[in-house]
Amino acid sequence: MLKDVSCQIEEHKIIGLIGRNGAGKSTFLNILAGHIKPTAGKVTIYQDNPFNSITTATNTMFIEEGMTFPNGNNIARILEIAKCFYPNWQQELAEKLLQYVGISLNGLYDKLSKGQRSTFNLVYGLSARCAITLLDEPMNGMDEAVRADMYRAILKEYIAYPRTIIISSHHLKEIEHLIEEILLINNGQVALHKELEEVQQFAVRLIGQPEQLEPYRNHALFERNEGPLAEIIVEKKYFNGHSSIQSEAVSASDVCKYVTANRMGGIDDVFK
Amino acid sequence: MNLNIDGTTPIYVQIAEWLRNEILAERLVADSKVYSQYQLAELFNINPATAGKGLTLLLEEEILYKKRGLGMFVTAQAKEMILQKRRGETLQQLARELVVEARRLAVTDDELIELVQKMQRGE
Repeated sequence: MLKDVSCQIEEHKIIGLIGRNGAGKSTFLNILAGHIKPTAGKVTIYQDNPFNSITTATNTMFIEEGMTFPNGNNIARILEIAKCFYPNWQQELAEKLLQYVGISLNGLYDKLSKGQRSTFNLVYGLSARCAITLLDEPMNGMDEAVRADMYRAILKEYIAYPRTIIISSHHLKEIEHLIEEILLINNGQVALHKELEEVQQFAVRLIGQPEQLEPYRNHALFERNEGPLAEIIVEKKYFNGHSSIQSEAVSASDVCKYVTANRMGGIDDVFK
Repeated sequence: MNLNIDGTTPIYVQIAEWLRNEILAERLVADSKVYSQYQLAELFNINPATAGKGLTLLLEEEILYKKRGLGMFVTAQAKEMILQKRRGETLQQLARELVVEARRLAVTDDELIELVQKMQRGE
């Protein structure tokens, strides 16, 4: 699933873990959380291998869709147990957030809808105030309004109590305002690991006559040649300006899309 | 507070621009304290590090100065510097675009000047 992944993540940053479905984001988070033992390579968190490490377990919060809580417990009981596990547990915050989103303390976790379950998981994850907070697609199933509120809650909690947050998403646009760095995983490898602003400056879209764009073709991340004008996306370092080639900025989300695209011409290739 | 989030103008650049506008509008005056990176983060719903980059940019441009432990403040020459820069760059850029568009539409020089004068008179 993952191969040749080499990266270093500094503390107290919010990292966006981006990649297409099946790229290896969840595997990566599972390894960091110590839930999966890597078959090769080395992972170090707090000078320790996270797999079977007590240090990792007490300092790490891993929120994922499939997480489970002991069967048959109501929400209040789950919070009570959390209080024993996590030294920084914020009971008041958890209760207030749940009340705000309309999740009753007396209800059963198993009876929550998919979206409510995600919301509860995230509230749980934030309230634990763990030094390392891993959020795997935390907004899955939530409706639009709750999502916006929950992103805001992550930000406010981060400001109140800075911690390392890795948040995975296949939708960069949604988390762009929240993150400091992008870690882009593609086919089990790190495709990009840069500050958000660097990714925004990474590539440029060139539009012009096909023959003018010819010299850039061997560097193309993407190219389209339909109609009178051709379009090529290249890393910015390859383009030094040209009077009759129009150049445009490429958003971070588009950069991620093109860097991880399987086909040079995108969907248009299929219709050729 | 709205940011352009099409992802092509870095957010920190927009934060710096918003602060420059606050200074131009005199909502932030010389020697007054500007918002901290955390206040900006809350206000614009962005990562505090990003807000910090916006402040650093203005620090480098000497539009802000730092008082150790107290935060960042507006320099005495801030407004004048922003005005000069805007006149030099922004206004020229807008004028360039105006001229290009006018040519494209075959508007004559006289017609264009007349249009600008009309605007100035508020017609």
